[in-house]
Amino acid sequence: MWIPIQIDENRPEPLYHQIEVQLRSLILGGQLAEGTLLPSIREFASHLRCSAITIRRVYQDLETEGLLRTRQGTGTFVAGVDADARAGHRLERVIEAFERAVETGLQLQCTIEEMERILRDVYERQKAESRKEESP
Amino acid sequence: MNEGLIAQETAISLRGAAVRRRHFTLGPLTLDIPRGMVTAVVGPNGSGKSTLFRLLLQMEPYDEGEAKLLGERVGPEGDERRKTRVGFVAELPHPYENGLTAEEKARFASAWYPKWDWDRYRKLMRKFEAEGGTKLRKLSKGMRRKVELAIAMAHDPELLLLDEPSSGLDPFAWKTMLEELHRYMEQGDRTLVIATHITEEIRRLADYVLFLHRGRSLGLYEKDQLFDAWRVFAIQAAPGLDRARLLALPGVQGAAEAGPGIYRLESDRAVETEEACAREGYKQLSAQRMELEDILACLVRKEEAGR
Repeated sequence: MWIPIQIDENRPEPLYHQIEVQLRSLILGGQLAEGTLLPSIREFASHLRCSAITIRRVYQDLETEGLLRTRQGTGTFVAGVDADARAGHRLERVIEAFERAVETGLQLQCTIEEMERILRDVYERQKAESRKEESP
Repeated sequence: MNEGLIAQETAISLRGAAVRRRHFTLGPLTLDIPRGMVTAVVGPNGSGKSTLFRLLLQMEPYDEGEAKLLGERVGPEGDERRKTRVGFVAELPHPYENGLTAEEKARFASAWYPKWDWDRYRKLMRKFEAEGGTKLRKLSKGMRRKVELAIAMAHDPELLLLDEPSSGLDPFAWKTMLEELHRYMEQGDRTLVIATHITEEIRRLADYVLFLHRGRSLGLYEKDQLFDAWRVFAIQAAPGLDRARLLALPGVQGAAEAGPGIYRLESDRAVETEEACAREGYKQLSAQRMELEDILACLVRKEEAGR
């Protein structure tokens, strides 16, 4: 099976981290259903042009988190994820993104009022854009 | 971890192994090539890639140190049995085989390798669209390469040594070769060591990269860690900065003024270099991963400077 993971060569995060974050997101976001058989380590590595060591590491990490399970001789499968973990993950990712934005804001001496205004503006603008896309 | 397990996880182990000839010295090399993995051997022409393969196959006796292949010492004793566990494609075809057809060469090989599998041989020949009945000397370079790959892989060796296997292959045959090598590695316990200068091949295939230069090792690296660690930065600072000052920054392996006040820094510890630049007040304009050949050039320069 082909897994939609996109590696950004120029991001500073290490490769295994990029792959792990995206794969976790696909599982917790429900795009990869429980029981889905993932590609073999070698196959996945060749698709992503990375080493088998990297994929093995990603599989091991996600297995430790309970998101994957490996059956000897059959392969690596997506494990059952409960609704709480899904909901938690959703907010976690948003919080992470906000943390980065606030960090940039503080570096550039933004006040809380400025940041709140930016948040509201961005929110309104994106809402308006998605409405436009929905009704062409 | 017990001793047996460690021994099993190393396919090739060198301890101060050196080949000394009048015009060329390989080594002394001390390194462990892991089992179940693909290691690309990379280096300029004449860096010792082929000599390394010849050493491992006891075609070039070594003068010092120790070399072990699949847990056995490389030496005259047990040589033939050891070689039957290995598949090898040499850099250049053997002239004494010129008069043979692929089928005839395969018949010789089938007598030599206990695990020879005619089915696998025919499948590989079909996949590669290789000609079995023509004399090898009459085949194009690429066609002869395909025949040699099929024969080297037909006994499903524990260790496959390929010396620039893709030279002469057209893009279709090249893709087939990669597919077959992936299939071979899929078994999990097979080891591939491939000498190549084709970056794309390394990207798609390798887990580890071994750099050789003038017969010396410049290091065995985990491929993704290597690409993660090396970055080229463009920074903006005062014009005419002293190069030595930039080279003293942590991780910086190369520095050049690319334009007035614009500097190009090559680093093998990207994160530290980035932090140091920020401390110095240099403005970072861009950061990019480096190509393998640029990393190699940096390592070579460093080695030359240290000589």
